[in-house]
Amino acid sequence: MQETLRLNGWSFESRLLLGTARYESPMQLVEAIKAADPAMVTVALRKQVQGGSHFGQSFWDILRAARRPLLPNTAGCYTAKEAVNTALMAREVFETDILKLEVIGDDQNLQPDPFGLVEAATELMKRGFCVLPYCTDDVVLCRRLLDAGCEALMPWAAPIGTGQGPRNPKALRELRDRFADVPLIVDAGLGLPSHACQVMEWGFDGVLVNSAVSRAVDPVRMAKAFGGAVQAGRLGYAAGPMPVQDLAVASTPEIGKPIWGDASQIVAKETV
Amino acid sequence: MPLIVNGQTMPVPDPPTLERLLATLQPRRPYAVARNEEFIPGAAYRQCKVADGDRIEIVHPSAGG
Repeated sequence: MQETLRLNGWSFESRLLLGTARYESPMQLVEAIKAADPAMVTVALRKQVQGGSHFGQSFWDILRAARRPLLPNTAGCYTAKEAVNTALMAREVFETDILKLEVIGDDQNLQPDPFGLVEAATELMKRGFCVLPYCTDDVVLCRRLLDAGCEALMPWAAPIGTGQGPRNPKALRELRDRFADVPLIVDAGLGLPSHACQVMEWGFDGVLVNSAVSRAVDPVRMAKAFGGAVQAGRLGYAAGPMPVQDLAVASTPEIGKPIWGDASQIVAKETV
Repeated sequence: MPLIVNGQTMPVPDPPTLERLLATLQPRRPYAVARNEEFIPGAAYRQCKVADGDRIEIVHPSAGG
């Protein structure tokens, strides 16, 4: 079992990836990054908009000061062509080959477009990117993305920003079993630290959260909570959970109890 | 159709190159540029012609998830 998260030739102690969107202020983002201690922070590209909420120059200053590896995304792209061009612009701006590839196929639930994803991933691999595709838990899609050259996958837990937690635990766990040696980072749809802990206990390699932290009442505290949850889940997975069974088994030894009488009746009574 | 930069109509610069347009606009750094939805690398700004009807997008680092 890998002790660290390995991506693009890098090794990370932290297995939490943190999004940078929807914080109330630049300072809140700064404090959330400190509290979460993430392996990477996700970033995007947008046009400069008068009155926009991107914090302008201060956002770039925050990123540089945070000294965290950046994971640019292609959020908002609906075609492979859009995603490839956005990726090329991101590489020039952020000076990194690593990319969270998003190609959205449905504007209601923001579900990834499997066909566009494979098309874009194939093209970006040719151009030297390290592609981390945001995908569904579909085994065939994941196989196609790995065939295209992706070294890690980012299956969703639920639609982006919903906070529902894993909607299809069986599919996620099957994915984990089927691709045992592939870094799998659960991305999107988590809402609680327990959701993150749960998927880490299942053996996922990492978790990416944004809204779950930035939309919390106290984002900085929630950032710390997710950091702890990811660590706890990973430790639990590494420790090897006990087998689940139907019948109760007393944990306190039966021998030497300070009680007189018919032992069989006492045991029967105590196990009620 | 006029030249459109980030959704705003602009006069075509003289000489009509992307480099000249960017020198006029002085966008906040860092940035990247697309012309008609195709990425233009920084090294190609000088050779890249712009004309009426072109759509130029200039993008900057932004918050993202």
